[in-house]
Amino acid sequence: MTKLTTLNEAVSSIPPGAHLALSGFAITRCTMAFSREVIRQGINHLTISQCVGAMDADMLVGAGAVDRLIYGGGSLDRFGRLNCVNRGIEDGTLAVEEYSSLSVAFRYLAGALGIPFIPIRSLRGSDLMAQLKEQSGSNLANITDPFTGENWPVLKPLLPDVAVVQVQVADEEGNAWIMGPRWDNAEQVRASQRTIVITERVVTDETIRQNPERTVIPGLFVSHVVELPFAAHPTSVYRAYDYDAEQIQAYVEATRTPESFRVYLDQYVYGVRDHWEYLERIGGLQRLTSLQADPVKGY
Amino acid sequence: MDFDYTPSELMAVAGARELQDKEVVAVGLGLPVVASFLAKHTHAPNMTILFELGVINPQPVDCGVGLADPRVWYRANVLSSFVDILGEVLHKGRVDVGFLGGLEVDQYGNLNTSLLGDPKGKFRHMIGSGGANDIASCAKRTIIIMRHEERKLKKTISFITSPGYITGGDSRTRVGLSGGPSRVITDKAIFSFHPDTKQMMLTSIHPGITLEDVLGTMGFSPIVPKQVPITEPPTREQVRLIREVIDPQRMYMG
Repeated sequence: MTKLTTLNEAVSSIPPGAHLALSGFAITRCTMAFSREVIRQGINHLTISQCVGAMDADMLVGAGAVDRLIYGGGSLDRFGRLNCVNRGIEDGTLAVEEYSSLSVAFRYLAGALGIPFIPIRSLRGSDLMAQLKEQSGSNLANITDPFTGENWPVLKPLLPDVAVVQVQVADEEGNAWIMGPRWDNAEQVRASQRTIVITERVVTDETIRQNPERTVIPGLFVSHVVELPFAAHPTSVYRAYDYDAEQIQAYVEATRTPESFRVYLDQYVYGVRDHWEYLERIGGLQRLTSLQADPVKGY
Repeated sequence: MDFDYTPSELMAVAGARELQDKEVVAVGLGLPVVASFLAKHTHAPNMTILFELGVINPQPVDCGVGLADPRVWYRANVLSSFVDILGEVLHKGRVDVGFLGGLEVDQYGNLNTSLLGDPKGKFRHMIGSGGANDIASCAKRTIIIMRHEERKLKKTISFITSPGYITGGDSRTRVGLSGGPSRVITDKAIFSFHPDTKQMMLTSIHPGITLEDVLGTMGFSPIVPKQVPITEPPTREQVRLIREVIDPQRMYMG
């Protein structure tokens, strides 16, 4: 069954207030085109989760689309911090549940396995734990190991409504390959009710069947497949294209104040009709060609 | 001595010396990467290097801007996931050494990478944990590398992101954690921790630095033994490897 659709259609399947697990990690495989379309369609009151905060989440927060963020901390690597997320935390406009990377990964894993909670060694003795316990409706508790009598922190499963995952290759049914490290993406997909796959390229069913061991996302979890080249721009997609350092730098500069970020959004999000016009705005084919990955190095 | 080295190069070399062959090391970007690759290029060829997002033993030829940069994944043995690396290797208990940096550290080796200021009042949020809390909690030992400044080596830190010895004594064991920080390497000195009180203890002072320089630029008083040795300086070969092989673009060493 083909699940191939447009970005516009896939995004409009997201109700306001939904919990989305996004596939980005700092400045790589971020769901950027998806996030720009969410902002254009005005979908808000979202909850966003990911193990390490990334540019896709930061942009959605900066545009006012997010009420709550569940993450393990994050940055834009050497380019800078997650300015919009940090501002939201500092001025109290963003509700945040802040963990460590593994805590969020374990919460997804528990969600994926359908188990009621998951014990973890991390967080003990830290202010992260103290802060999480103070939050109303805390998703962290302690139990006694029934076998050894030891005390263990336990985390509640994370059950997002939709995982949105940027991949390199998928077929029309949503069987998808992720090249390079997958960080939390496999667990995000399995913990979520359904998944939207954004793929650089759609290939035939036969192509997937030739190398099925590469399939990280089985089509059975997928509701929509969107084929969109350079959909993670300005972040990188391993073996497809490098990050656009100039554009990420411009983003970091723009996110320093809400006013300058408004100008950025007008230029790159509200001021373009769709992803194709965005690609023209950032320099078109000439710019994009210069970002293409070396087939050996993958960047 | 007939060659120069920078304080960062000395820190990286001191970090490398802490690592033994065949150890499994979880690494963040920056100086810890240089220290780990230096050890692997010299005395610890069978060491395993892990990056939290799912990378084992890469052999990068270009410097990256962070762990998210495919440049630092190049020629890896394994590209996998958080659950694989932080879960099935680290949480399982197979990581010997975790390398951590931070905004602030206190006398018990607790680390802050989250925020500066009053968490219940006015503060600036910075980065948060990433895998740092997991590494500090689960590795058999951790090595902390940071600049030697009063605003970084503090009596009270704004936030404990990653636990060291918490409030000292047996407080770390009491919350169910083994391991803990073994060394703090700064650009002025190297510290370890007192076996009982778990207070930071001066272990060596870098060449050309005085005891007053060390103590006058910290926010707490470490334990100072009667005799404090001088840190062994880098060798010419170690400095050459850092400059020509590991960080030729000087991205990690600043």
